[in-house]
Amino acid sequence: MGRRLLGLVFVYSLALALALVVYATGSLQPPHEIKRLGVFYVEETFFGNMTAMSPEAVTAIVWDYRGLDTVYETAVFFLAVVAGLAVFRVSKTPPLKRGVGLTEISRTSTKIVAALIVVVSASIALHGHLTPGGGFQGGSTLAIAPLLVIPIFSYYALLARRLTPGLLVTLRGLALTAIGLVALLPVFKGLEVVTNIRFYPAYILGQLVSGSLLLYNSSEYIAVASGFAAVFLYLSFEEEFHEEERGEDHE
Amino acid sequence: MTSDLVFWAGVVVVFVGGVFDFIAGLGMLRFPNFYVRLHAATIGTIYGAVLPLIGVALMALGSPIPNNTFIAGGCLATALVLFLVAPIGSHLLAYAAHKARAVEWSPVVDQLGEEE
Repeated sequence: MGRRLLGLVFVYSLALALALVVYATGSLQPPHEIKRLGVFYVEETFFGNMTAMSPEAVTAIVWDYRGLDTVYETAVFFLAVVAGLAVFRVSKTPPLKRGVGLTEISRTSTKIVAALIVVVSASIALHGHLTPGGGFQGGSTLAIAPLLVIPIFSYYALLARRLTPGLLVTLRGLALTAIGLVALLPVFKGLEVVTNIRFYPAYILGQLVSGSLLLYNSSEYIAVASGFAAVFLYLSFEEEFHEEERGEDHE
Repeated sequence: MTSDLVFWAGVVVVFVGGVFDFIAGLGMLRFPNFYVRLHAATIGTIYGAVLPLIGVALMALGSPIPNNTFIAGGCLATALVLFLVAPIGSHLLAYAAHKARAVEWSPVVDQLGEEE
């Protein structure tokens, strides 16, 4: 008890000393002047001459001003999913059995919660150009629905509805192709790659869609959700199945 | 006048939630085994999280800040989802621990065992 108390006192005094040093040197003070880049983004995202027609500055930066970065990031995540598939060698899916799953209470509530997750994730993704959120956030929220279904209903419930890793990776490939097409289409009219407002309309039927931002967000939504779902699915296959498949490969 | 009343009702509810959080923390430390500690943890989520969220919603409704109904609606929706999900979480934890025989226990009544 004495040693524990001594350790506690030591940790607390260390934290206090660190906090005092940080306060005294003022190194954690926020800067008083806004950087010129920050001023540019704040002024231009909706009202300026180089506008992205989006009131949500983060989405404008991610998909418009620095859109090429995001396309590369998306490609990196796609490569990670494909590398995972290659390491686990999921070329086939396990033979269908009847999963056991968990109790009736959890099954019923999962049905309600999964429906809620789908609705909320679609709202996050499709309002990404208006409010905080976007394709990646919405997609990773949507991927929670299969992640809930896997332990509660067992992954056979997903496989029986033809939601296999192969299909999900194909879906992800299609969504990524859509992102690439949205970025490349302006080139055919003689504009730069990832052109936004000069090529895509800002308003459709009076609704603000912020040009290409809505297209990027909805494609990224499908891409991220199917990518994460594929990862969750092939990680949940039993070890015996992976070993069996590897054994067949060796023969 | 009414808005003041709503605001202070919210403050009281948040404070009560804090007290329940303290009780739940004490329970997690002092209760003897997994199942009873699970009870303390669920007190922490229902009375210690759902109740303060309702309190914050009342505080938002009772104060003249902009978009206060938006904040209150978000709080109430989160409270509803937590209210739905937290009991299921503890139900599943208890079920899994019982099924896997991961926890040693000495039951007084074992209705799950009688069914098997």
